[in-house]
Amino acid sequence: MGPRSRIAILLVGLALTASSATAQQVGTATAVNPTSETTPPGATTVALTVGARIVHKQRIHTTPTGTVQLLFLDKSTLSIAPNTSLLIDEYVYDPNSGSGHMLTSLTEGALRFVGGALSHQGEASIATPAAAIGIRGGTVTIIHGNNGTRVINHFGVITIHNAGGTIVISRPGFAVTILNWNTPPGEPERVAEAEISHYLRLLTSSTGQNGGVPGLKNVAIGECGVLGLHSYNCPGTPWIPIDTGESDAFQLIIQATQQGTGTSQRPRPPVR
Amino acid sequence: MKSGGVILKVHARRAFGSRFAGAVAPLVLLALSGISAFAQTASDFAGTLNPLFQGILARPSDLNNTLQYAANASADDIESAIGTYEQLLFYNPTLSRVRFELGVLYYRLGSYDMARGYFKSALEMRDISPELQQRAKDLIAVIDKKLQPDQFTGFVQTGVRYQSNAGAGPGPQTVLASGRIFNNRFFSQGDWNWFGAFGVNYIHDFENQRGDTFEASLLGYDAQQFSLHQFDVGLLEFRAGPRFGIFTGTANAMSIKPYIVATGALLADTPYYGGMGGGLTVHANVGSVALDPYVEVVQQSFRNSTFYPLASGFSGTLSTYALPASGPVFSGLTWQSRLAYAHASDNYGPYSYDTYAADIWLPWNFSFPNDSRVWTLTPTAGVSRWVYSAADPMIDPTIVPRTTEWRVGLGLDIPIWKQLILGMLVQYRADESNVAAFTMRDLQVSAGPTIKF
Repeated sequence: MGPRSRIAILLVGLALTASSATAQQVGTATAVNPTSETTPPGATTVALTVGARIVHKQRIHTTPTGTVQLLFLDKSTLSIAPNTSLLIDEYVYDPNSGSGHMLTSLTEGALRFVGGALSHQGEASIATPAAAIGIRGGTVTIIHGNNGTRVINHFGVITIHNAGGTIVISRPGFAVTILNWNTPPGEPERVAEAEISHYLRLLTSSTGQNGGVPGLKNVAIGECGVLGLHSYNCPGTPWIPIDTGESDAFQLIIQATQQGTGTSQRPRPPVR
Repeated sequence: MKSGGVILKVHARRAFGSRFAGAVAPLVLLALSGISAFAQTASDFAGTLNPLFQGILARPSDLNNTLQYAANASADDIESAIGTYEQLLFYNPTLSRVRFELGVLYYRLGSYDMARGYFKSALEMRDISPELQQRAKDLIAVIDKKLQPDQFTGFVQTGVRYQSNAGAGPGPQTVLASGRIFNNRFFSQGDWNWFGAFGVNYIHDFENQRGDTFEASLLGYDAQQFSLHQFDVGLLEFRAGPRFGIFTGTANAMSIKPYIVATGALLADTPYYGGMGGGLTVHANVGSVALDPYVEVVQQSFRNSTFYPLASGFSGTLSTYALPASGPVFSGLTWQSRLAYAHASDNYGPYSYDTYAADIWLPWNFSFPNDSRVWTLTPTAGVSRWVYSAADPMIDPTIVPRTTEWRVGLGLDIPIWKQLILGMLVQYRADESNVAAFTMRDLQVSAGPTIKF
């Protein structure tokens, strides 16, 4: 690590201690539906609010109506479902080099992790009582409850490890269930559409909630196929067959016409 | 932020937006300073964190800032854009457009289950417009197909075509001037034809974590001339092989596919050509560019016929080395290209050749206001250089033929109804050669419907 990096980390560390002399801010609560609570290290439990600083070793707990989204310095996000408890165990990030690591412990409930700089380097992990889950990429939904841990890969390479063994999910739309720490993780299986829909509903606001930020009534985005705009990244833009066989057929004709027809040279007159 | 709602039109000039954001970074940082303790903190990241991103960290309820960041991130940081649009969804879970955009972003990641989930949830929202509804339904249909273990896609096409030189023959003046004899049945002549084509692609997904598949395709083409039946042509081509995933799930994901190819063709309603061979192709993405290089070797067999008594001389081995590639240019415009080298080693030595070819297609997708249907305009251009191995005594014993072909075209695909498209194509070819019989011009105009499935 160069002197510039060390200085940057020092600056970050100093600057993020504006309201807490000891805890380093690692992110922000960007959306909070009540009731969601937080317990900063060494402090009492308080209600979590939008814009609240998230620090190392902070606990988050949501009630049956509470949901939260956390945004971290490396641009990763955690969407947290109702009835969930987790701890931001470790978070180290150097914005200059983009290096560091994060570890979150999920003790119950569900979350969706959408990766940032740390997970792109394989330095993001989520631990549950049944497994340690390493994320490279990556976007993943993780649920832990009485039936163990369920890991659904949405993107990236997810490595699941416990005392029973290790298994890797490298395709989106596949999931693994781990019963407990001593049981080997099951084989990846394709996720049912209903399960995806269930967690999409669970990991955001319910109707009538606003994540703590009222006033967003409508948004006009230049989506694909709307407002006359087509981004190059529009999925499913009409596929037009470029190779219809016509080109190959015409090539056959050219060759046949020019050389295969018996075209011949008139005998040259004898040279006198 | 407007208390009554935020309307922010985020146009597709996202790359420009990123540059603009970078240019105004100092101003944003200045504005942020003094707002809060965290804002002061954020400015300390100058040059390391996107100022719009700093704005979200400092003031997540600043909706304009959040929307701007999401739009910029959509261009090159899909996951960050997902996190930000999911943040907006927390603020209002009933917004169909945010759900649709999330579907698009997950689709781009290849996370089709999540994309379908968001598209379907968008359809349940009361604010969805008819255009967005149709677009979501179309994309759900595409995803439903992609998530099947056995997938069939294809097209059927028909139409009529006029060619100013249906047989790609030389002009009589050109040949006469050269002092050579040429079968006058094959001089340049205009003609109409009816053509039909179909393609069926099959993919079986083995559902393993490498993403291994088995792929097969069948392509058929037939053209019946109105007058010049010596150019009636039919072609059938079958390809099949397994595709193996490498580094699946990572940014370096690739796949490799060995395959077999079998081709048969009729010319003048008579068996004319049969080919059998194999190849190896690799698919890889380098940034936003998709590469599909391949090597293919085909044993070719030509059969003599009344019209083409010398065709069997073409029999031999054709080896092709090609690099097809594609990528985005800017909003709505993509490019596809193909560079190729081929060597034909034919039974009759003078028919052997080396050829070098380069082609480019520039499909531009666009639509008209209040209509989600997508039109596609595709300019094309290409050039091939043919270098024969020896002079052909049957044509001219003193000249080793060398031919350069130029081709340009313009295609327009008009959406008619659902998967029905009306396609129109104008294409011009010009072959310049040091051998008169190989020099030709052809202008073709074709039109007809295509159905995709």
